[in-house]
Amino acid sequence: MIVWLALPFIQRAVLAGLILGALLAILGIFVVLRRMAFFSDGIAHASLAGVAVGVLANTNPLLTALGISAVLAVIMAWLERKTKIASDAIVGLIFTGGMATGVILLALKSGYQPELVSFLFGNILSIQWSELWLMVVLAALIVAFLLLNYKRLALMVLNPEIAHLSGVPVTLYQTLLYVTVAASAVLGIKMLGVALLSALLIVPVSTAKLIAKSFRGLMLWSVIMSELTVITGIALSIQLNLPTGAVIVLCGLMLFLLTLAGSKLFNR
Amino acid sequence: MDAVSVKNLKIRYGSHVVLNGLNFEIEKGNIAAVIGPNGSGKTTLFKALLGLIPYEGEIKIFQKSIKNALKRIAYVPQHFDFDRTLPITVDEFLSFASNGKSINAKKICREVSVDILAEKLIGDLSGGQLQRVLIAQALIKDPDLLFLDEPSAGIDIEGSKAFYDLIKHINKEHDVTVLLISHEISMVSDLADQILCLNRDLVCSGPPREVLTKKVLNKLYGPEMNIREHKHL
Repeated sequence: MIVWLALPFIQRAVLAGLILGALLAILGIFVVLRRMAFFSDGIAHASLAGVAVGVLANTNPLLTALGISAVLAVIMAWLERKTKIASDAIVGLIFTGGMATGVILLALKSGYQPELVSFLFGNILSIQWSELWLMVVLAALIVAFLLLNYKRLALMVLNPEIAHLSGVPVTLYQTLLYVTVAASAVLGIKMLGVALLSALLIVPVSTAKLIAKSFRGLMLWSVIMSELTVITGIALSIQLNLPTGAVIVLCGLMLFLLTLAGSKLFNR
Repeated sequence: MDAVSVKNLKIRYGSHVVLNGLNFEIEKGNIAAVIGPNGSGKTTLFKALLGLIPYEGEIKIFQKSIKNALKRIAYVPQHFDFDRTLPITVDEFLSFASNGKSINAKKICREVSVDILAEKLIGDLSGGQLQRVLIAQALIKDPDLLFLDEPSAGIDIEGSKAFYDLIKHINKEHDVTVLLISHEISMVSDLADQILCLNRDLVCSGPPREVLTKKVLNKLYGPEMNIREHKHL
C-alpha cells in the first residue's frame, strides 16, 4: 500500500475515501435514526437523470447529478409535508421516475456508456482532482452543518413537536437534511456506485452502535469504523485486483461481524 | 389573566370537520384537563394550540399569537417512539432539548428525580422514568404553560398517582399553567381546576364538580361511565 501511495490516482482515491467515509458515517447516524435508508437509496438511483443530463450536455455528470438530486430532495420533502402520500411511496415515485428518465436520456447517446457502469458500481480509482476538490468543499460544508447542528437535528428526528417548541425550524431542517443526504449520496456514488452506496451509510453506524455508550461516542466510533473500512477496502482491492467499491462494502460487513462477535464475547 | 384564549376554533381535514367552533379560556395558574372519547379531537386541539396545524378562528396564548408565545410553552408528547438501540444518554437528550442554554437544568433534574438517570441510555428507561425525563426536558425551558398529552399512558396505577402528584407540584411550585389530555376521569377530577369535555364540539367547560355530571359523561362516553374518588391527592 505504501508503494502504491506514490501514485497520484491512489492518493486521490485514498483522500476521497477518507473524506466520504467521514461524511457518510456522520450522516448515516441521522439516516438510521430517521429510518431513511430507502430515501438515500432512492435519491441515489434517481440521480441517474442528472448523470445523463451531464453526459448529453458534455459537462461533468457529477455536477448535474448533484443539482438534480438536490432539487428532487426538496420536492420529496415538500410532497411529504403537503400531501397524504406515504413517504416510501414518494421515494418510489422519484426513484423510478429519475432512473427511467436517466436510462432514456442515456439511450439518446450512441456508443458505450462508461458513466453507466461507474454509476452502478462506482470507481474511486478514476476520480479526478477537479472532482476531489468539489468533494472536499461540499463535504466540509455538510460536515460543518451536521456538527454545528447535530443537537437540533437529533431532537427533530426524535420528536419534531418538541423540536418545534425548542425553537428548531423543523420544516427548514427537514429539507436541509434531505438535501445533504441527497448531495452526499451522489458524492458516494463515485466511490461505491448506486448499488452499494447504502452500505457506507448504514454499516459503520450499525457497527458503532454495538460499542458506543453515548451519542457523541456513536459519532466518533461511526467515523473510526468508516475510515477503517475504506482504507482496508482500498488497500485490499488494489492488492487483490478486485472492484474497490465491492471490497469496501465487504470489509465493512466483516468489521461489523467481528465487532458483533467481540461485543457478545465481552458482554457474557 | 388568561393563559389560553380560544375563539370560534374550527379545524377540518379536507371536508371532514374535526373541531367545530370551540370557545374557551384557561386562567393563568390553573390545571385544565381535556377529556373525551377516542376521536373526539383532543390531540388535534393540542396540535392547533402548539401551532402545528392550520386552523380557523383565533388562538391567543398569554394574549399573544402562538408564534410569539412559543418560548413560554413546553410540551410532553403522548408517543415518544425511537430506535431504542441508539445510544443517547439522558444527559445528552436533555442538552438536545435545551440546546445547552438552560442554567437550572441540574436543579430541575434533581426535582423530578432524573439526576440519578443522567448517564443512562434513554432506550433503557422504563415507561415511568422516560416520562420523568420528558417532564424534565419541558421544565428546563422554564415554561409558563405546559402541555401534557396523555402523560400517564403506559404507566402502572402507582406510577400514575406519583406522576399526577408531580404535575400538581410543578403547577404550584413553578407557577406553571398546565393543560393536559387524559382518559383517567377520576384522577383529573381531583387534580384539575377546569375540565374541558370534547366531542368535536365543546360539551362542557368549568370546574370538575360543576361540569362532570352524569348527563355530560353519558353524552361523552355512554351510560356505563362513573367517577371513582381518589384519596391520595
